[in-house]
Amino acid sequence: MSVGSAMPLADVVSAEALVEPGEGGSRIVLGREPDAVVAPGSIEEVVALLAWAESNSVGVIPVGTGSHLGDRRPPGPYVALSTERLNGVEIYEPADLTLTARSGTRMGDLARVAEEHRQWLPFDPMDVPNRTLGGLASAGVTGPLWAGYGHLRNHVLGMTVVCGDGRVLRLGGRVVKNVAGFDLIKPMVGSRGRLAVITSLTVRLFPLPAVDRVLLLEGAEASSLLPAARAVATAPILPASVVLSVSGDAGSRLLVRLHGARETVDADQRTLESHAGGVFAVAEGSQATEWLTATRDAGADAAIQLSLRALPAQLGALLHVARGPMAGMNQELMADVIEGSVRLAWSGATTDAALVIEELRSGAESLGGTVTVDCCPVGMDPVARSSRLSADAREIGEGVKRIFDPGGVLL
Amino acid sequence: MNQVASSVSFESRVTPVPRALVLKLREIVGEKHVITNPDRLLVYESDGLSAYRVVPRAVVLPASTDEVARVVQVLHTAGIEVVPRGAGTGLSGGALATEHGVVVGTARMNQILEIDAENRLARLQPGVINARLTEATKSFGLYYAPDPSSQSTCTLGGNVAENSGGPHCLKYGVTTRYVTGLTVVLAGGRVVRLGGPAGEPYAALDLVGLFVGSEGCFGIATEIEVRLLPITEGVRTLLGIFDTMEAAGRAVTAIMASGLMPAAMEIVDQATIRAVEASVFAAGYPVDAGAALVVEFDGTEAGLDADADKAETCCFAEGAREVQRATDAAHREALWRGRKKAFGAMGRIAPDLLVQDATVPRTKLPEVLVRIAEIGEQYALEIANVFHAGDGNLHPNILFDRNDPDQLERVERASKEIMQLCVDVGGTITGEHGVGVDKRDYMPLVHNETELEMLRSAKRIFDPDGLFNPGKVIPGPVVGR
Repeated sequence: MSVGSAMPLADVVSAEALVEPGEGGSRIVLGREPDAVVAPGSIEEVVALLAWAESNSVGVIPVGTGSHLGDRRPPGPYVALSTERLNGVEIYEPADLTLTARSGTRMGDLARVAEEHRQWLPFDPMDVPNRTLGGLASAGVTGPLWAGYGHLRNHVLGMTVVCGDGRVLRLGGRVVKNVAGFDLIKPMVGSRGRLAVITSLTVRLFPLPAVDRVLLLEGAEASSLLPAARAVATAPILPASVVLSVSGDAGSRLLVRLHGARETVDADQRTLESHAGGVFAVAEGSQATEWLTATRDAGADAAIQLSLRALPAQLGALLHVARGPMAGMNQELMADVIEGSVRLAWSGATTDAALVIEELRSGAESLGGTVTVDCCPVGMDPVARSSRLSADAREIGEGVKRIFDPGGVLL
Repeated sequence: MNQVASSVSFESRVTPVPRALVLKLREIVGEKHVITNPDRLLVYESDGLSAYRVVPRAVVLPASTDEVARVVQVLHTAGIEVVPRGAGTGLSGGALATEHGVVVGTARMNQILEIDAENRLARLQPGVINARLTEATKSFGLYYAPDPSSQSTCTLGGNVAENSGGPHCLKYGVTTRYVTGLTVVLAGGRVVRLGGPAGEPYAALDLVGLFVGSEGCFGIATEIEVRLLPITEGVRTLLGIFDTMEAAGRAVTAIMASGLMPAAMEIVDQATIRAVEASVFAAGYPVDAGAALVVEFDGTEAGLDADADKAETCCFAEGAREVQRATDAAHREALWRGRKKAFGAMGRIAPDLLVQDATVPRTKLPEVLVRIAEIGEQYALEIANVFHAGDGNLHPNILFDRNDPDQLERVERASKEIMQLCVDVGGTITGEHGVGVDKRDYMPLVHNETELEMLRSAKRIFDPDGLFNPGKVIPGPVVGR
């Protein structure tokens, strides 16, 4: 079958669903341009597209904003399924603290809707306002706020998904506690679109904290802030997030976010200052947002993005590993102090990047940790560059893939 | 409750495990840890849902991952079903033996293997009792958050199997949020490690999350790694007394809408209050009250009084007759007693108690409770409600006498109507007790056949021959396709 312009998709989906590659929100960097980009406007169109793809041996890659797709290099013809038209809030019950939205809804839009009721979704991965709810779930990323609120995967209460062969599944529900059957939402979150296309999600919201305060310590080197960072991480309170960032030559910052009533936050700040043995600079409101956003989004446009993870107490060693091969390179580094992970972002030549990633991987694995490559230049396989799964996890994972996508349509 | 198994004599039901097989099992775990004596097997005939009783053919009690693996290998090679069992406190018949199966219990696997205070992690065997973990980590200033009501007897392995909750999961979440890694024994005795404290790399699916809550249908967790939290500095406990259940329900909504995040919000209704106050557990709740609401805040000491003041204001604004605030640990215990001892107290007013479990959107609680009362009247049954109001998790408790067949039938019909009601308002058939055998036939209320088949397929990934805990969770055969 010929592909590209010859793909007879006009018979499969509506004209509105057909998108010119590179147009609109379909910023797709997959290592090879898709043969077609389709933006279904309904679950029925998703079903129709997948059924067509399966019967024509065409691959499909679901795409939110395309920020975390990596380079997948599909071997054959494929369609990028953009969720940009699967957009909008379907059900919002502020009194229940739950919200159901279509998967292509931008997090920034959801934040505005929830804020009207003094609620929010406590997720803060890189560039979060511009990413989609479905994309976030697909990538399985929460951001440093997981420390205070738990991971995104624990707050996805329900999902509607279309399997590779067109079966529609409603997983979970709209209630915060639900154990009616095996938890198929968990493998969906973080599956990077390889199991099924998420068309809508129900998530748990939280009340906006009365006070959102950021404590800041600055230092020339990350290593100089490490003792304070670990002191905060082991203090007898649980901050909303604790990150340590290194930005190019601009020095290092330790940012601690505290949420709660004013007197609670005041007391928590005193506790942390006592444990860390120093006095923090303090900000709330726009200044705090500025600090947080600068750290959160540093390196968002970098060609190479990866994360290293070990145990929290190994953060010093992990930072050493992360900084080793990066000497002289202009990179952005952000460590989640509670998790014991380090996110690195930089731009550089593919051959150099391959060597650097190899050194990082070897260093992290020597600590018993892992490396995950989120974004890398065209020509580099992120799976091959990341730490390997155990044979058992791979085999069981393949079993899960088979039950969701028996024809292997989703790439 | 769909099919209440009646208790019959051991001899009429049980096909003993062949002698040669018993010897093999004894070689692995030791002579006294393979139970075949009919009197001793009776202990294992049910879990916390005693309406279902099946005496197992044998019970095996291994002490390590290696022993579990070898026991499962021997049993599966012989085509014998394995029913995993923790402390047997479950309330859905999840640990109920099968007619042809052997129970593999984790009672001897009760070691806390490691407390890594620096990384706030613990590694333990599945037979460790929930409350013991918190006790053991206390000296490090840490605790394990999920706190099922049975936490003084239930095991972490059982909590993993059921994805257990508890009163404080309103703020802290349920078991799945805290499990970072598992060693599991799968079909044929295969030992597999899932997850780990440093997470999984790219392209890894969350198999730990999939395994948690699989109700023993995928395999047996033999080592569990959990995340610990720092012990909170302070706690404030309030007890609001209301004339009507509706007013208590409105107070819950008002507290949540005010931006507060209580650690727990629990309601008991009038029938429960009366049962408690007539028992040895009397907590001093007024017996003419329509409902009592326990609200608890924890965290940094400095902000707790302000939170409690705000919640108290919400309670009075919604018509609370009185609001008590605990002044010390003993007073706190007293305020909680009416809630925590509710199930025990009901034992004295009826021979049998069916503890139901369902979740509805929180805002639907008032209308659902009214309807449950109507269902009780319709079937001439007393239903006492105890529930986790903050997250809409209901426990309508139906009081009955299992020796009265007519009453038994009414209980089953009322139970099904309550489940249908909860589903109709956007809820589900179980929030924390699991499906087990009790809710298995209600699964079509919340899943269509495509989704049920997906669940069967998920089980086959881990257990292709259907030899782990068959007949639980999913209606219809899992194998044979």
